[in-house]
Amino acid sequence: MTDTTVNSTICPRCGAENVRVLTTSPVPGRWTMYVCDTCIYSWRSTEPRSATDPLTYPAEFKIDPAEIPSIPAIPTVPPRRR
Amino acid sequence: MAYADLREFLETLDRNGQLLTYSEPVNPEPDLGAAARATANLTDRGPALLFDNINGYEPGKGRVALNVVGSWPNHALMLGLDKDTSVKDQFFEFAGRWDAFPGPVERRDDAPWQEVTITEGIDLFHLLPLFRLNRYDVGCYIDKAAVISRDPDDPDDFGKQNVGIYRIQVKDKDRLGIQPLAAHDLGLHLQRAEERGENLPIAIALGNEPAITTVAGMPLAYDQSEYEMAAAIQGAPYRITKAPLTGLDVPWGSEVVIEGEIIAGEREIEGPFGEFTGHYSGARRQPVVRVHRVTHRRNPIFEHLYLGMPWTEMDYTLALNTSVPLYRQLKAEFPEVAAVNAMYTQGLLGIISVKQRFGGFAKAVGMRAMTVPHGLAYCKVIIMVDEDVDPFNLAQVMWALSVHYHPLHDTVTIPNLSILALDPSSDPAGITHKVILDATTPVAPEERGHYSQVVGDPEGTADWENIIKGLLK
Ligand SMILES: [Zn+2]
Repeated sequence: MTDTTVNSTICPRCGAENVRVLTTSPVPGRWTMYVCDTCIYSWRSTEPRSATDPLTYPAEFKIDPAEIPSIPAIPTVPPRRR
Repeated sequence: MAYADLREFLETLDRNGQLLTYSEPVNPEPDLGAAARATANLTDRGPALLFDNINGYEPGKGRVALNVVGSWPNHALMLGLDKDTSVKDQFFEFAGRWDAFPGPVERRDDAPWQEVTITEGIDLFHLLPLFRLNRYDVGCYIDKAAVISRDPDDPDDFGKQNVGIYRIQVKDKDRLGIQPLAAHDLGLHLQRAEERGENLPIAIALGNEPAITTVAGMPLAYDQSEYEMAAAIQGAPYRITKAPLTGLDVPWGSEVVIEGEIIAGEREIEGPFGEFTGHYSGARRQPVVRVHRVTHRRNPIFEHLYLGMPWTEMDYTLALNTSVPLYRQLKAEFPEVAAVNAMYTQGLLGIISVKQRFGGFAKAVGMRAMTVPHGLAYCKVIIMVDEDVDPFNLAQVMWALSVHYHPLHDTVTIPNLSILALDPSSDPAGITHKVILDATTPVAPEERGHYSQVVGDPEGTADWENIIKGLLK
């Protein structure tokens, strides 16, 4: 059953309030998946708290939304041919 | 021995006692990742796992296969050998089949994955029981699918069509993140598409018989066809079928074929993902795939690969296709090379057995390993042993290191060479010292140590090995 107390508004990883429902279980009512459209972190309502709760998500895996645009692109986009 | 598809291979594993079907209810997380990790922890002779009762999916419908080639018996069965075949014998069998390249392909238009087509309302999470593999992965991944693409500058060249395995983050119901490194063939295809200002069509073929999955991880030349190599490895023509939207050639036997395109010029945050080094790779901005069409068998099996701290299925699937090319390249110049075991963290550490031509010879062969193509990114630690030491038998290798290796004379350190950036010890990322530990017996003109009185096997030992093996069966 879906845990209705599970966090569905704040991204556990980047803290952005940019969360939406990604999908729900094919058998209705079993789980909901959420995704953060800022850092693309996703989680399922049935997962352990370490994955779903900003308070218990570990600091070393967190990310500051302000840093995302400056993360290196791999591979870099090559120039267009003329 | 050729398997038509994943299901036929799973039946073979089952007949050999190498498949566990688990029908008790499980949660996608953390149960599936934990079960695969546990199997790898317990034994190197473990079974494949098939889960068919996953929370949120109809029992019997959402199915996940894990650890399919995650042990030496399963690897032997992949090659059609007896499941008890030794690693060394599997190595020489694999090397022998490589010589049959290129094998023939068989084009067919009646693939079982043509049963169901989805073009509207695609939801990959409903089609496949996707799940988070390791605790701090950013989301759900597909990591054992064959990704097929063509060279946009030469789209009709069959050999330049690439089949590779790349990590794929499932970012949305129909949107993916993919990691085509610049050095990979897919990276080259994408670079050319982006130079042309075009999206790159790709097909992602999921749930395959094991030969193409193995071959997709091989370091083949740019214009060598993975399908023609799969035919050589399985010793039978490889069946392929055109994917309906992109026209790309995909395996006939796949469970699911996902077609779409990598969007030119787009990069978006991807990762972290627990990698084969036993460490997470950080986040990078990487290319994005838009999915347009999915074609699949009814009730497809989602085949997935657990990776993390070695050993995992990743290590078994890459063991010989890392070791054999290194062996072939070294052997071409130095016929004295007897065997190569480069299966530790994809060859970050390798063991080479060689018959020394003269003093210092083994050290030279070790240095050569660092300069073959694979060595440029791997081969950080090379252990050299004599030709009568089995490099796949670590008890023998440790014996050689403990009694033949002299720290003063047998350590060669080469500073500041290139290495895989994922190696967490590299500093800066991608640069490291490398070392050769020479555990061969010194030969002239290098005469040192006391090695003349080796305790050999008692007479008849080889015969007794066979007698006892037979009695144990
Ligand atoms: Zn976020």
